[in-house]
Amino acid sequence: MNPEPFLQLDRVIHEKGRLAIMSMLAAAPELSFTELRNALTMTDGNLTTHIRALQQEGYISVAKSYQNNRPLTTCSLTPAGRKAFAEYINLLEKIIRQTRSK
Amino acid sequence: MNPNWAEENLQTIRTLMERSAVYRRALAPIMLFNGVVGSAGGVCGWLMQIGSAWGFVLFWSGFAMVGLIGSFLLVRRQALKDAEPFWSPPTRRLTQAMLPLFVVGLVLGVGVLVAWPHPTVAAPPTDSIEIEELFWLPAVWVVLYGCAIHSAGFFTPRGLRLFGWLFVASGCGIFLWFCLRDSIELPWWTCHLLMGFFFGVLHLAYGAYLYLTKKGKNAA
Repeated sequence: MNPEPFLQLDRVIHEKGRLAIMSMLAAAPELSFTELRNALTMTDGNLTTHIRALQQEGYISVAKSYQNNRPLTTCSLTPAGRKAFAEYINLLEKIIRQTRSK
Repeated sequence: MNPNWAEENLQTIRTLMERSAVYRRALAPIMLFNGVVGSAGGVCGWLMQIGSAWGFVLFWSGFAMVGLIGSFLLVRRQALKDAEPFWSPPTRRLTQAMLPLFVVGLVLGVGVLVAWPHPTVAAPPTDSIEIEELFWLPAVWVVLYGCAIHSAGFFTPRGLRLFGWLFVASGCGIFLWFCLRDSIELPWWTCHLLMGFFFGVLHLAYGAYLYLTKKGKNAA
């Protein structure tokens, strides 16, 4: 099996928690911190750490606002994040094709 | 390493993306609320002996408004409770999917109001049989509602699409039967019965089913 596609996988996205966040955001224009936390059953601290890592990589943008006098944090994929996610999926598909052709 | 890890990863991604786009907020309370409103409408229409075309359309339009407003309030209450935005992307998609068919239903009702002469004097119930000529209207409303629910079902758990199909198939059946019938005479309150059954009893049944099979927490 050619290990090249596997080596090309984006390590930032490949982590289970961050992959879940990227997947959720890929299907929605934006999601609130609460929505992500509830859907992924993560702790606040865990989610914050992953969001920060993705934000530092430039894959997601975080917006803070107020709704009904309560702070509201929303996350969305940046164009770079969308591109990186699409590339990650393409590589996964490539790996699957390789595995099947064996 | 498990050789299928890539496939498993893709499956996880697909599941999460679906979950992200799916609307789950307050479906069971909405169904139960509308079931109660619909059933109450059926019983009230029969007890109040609303037999004119005008009365029928206005009466059920009123109940539809109560159902819509109540549903939005239920969604809003859950959004506030969970500190989530009310007008979330899934809520927006769901509303956009249902809206055109609701508009057609409304226009149809307005068309009936325009086409039928407005009764100037309240006719006694025994003479108020215009509604018998309106059997097609509940059937078409049921079909349109079924189509709206079916469209919404693409953004909700799969069961709602089947629920929509139930309305579409039943409404079409009633409509065809109405077109083909020869001399079957039905009492005027059958229209209210139909409305009460479809918009009341069926919603109550689906709401109860959702409550019994609910897994975890609702999310927008």
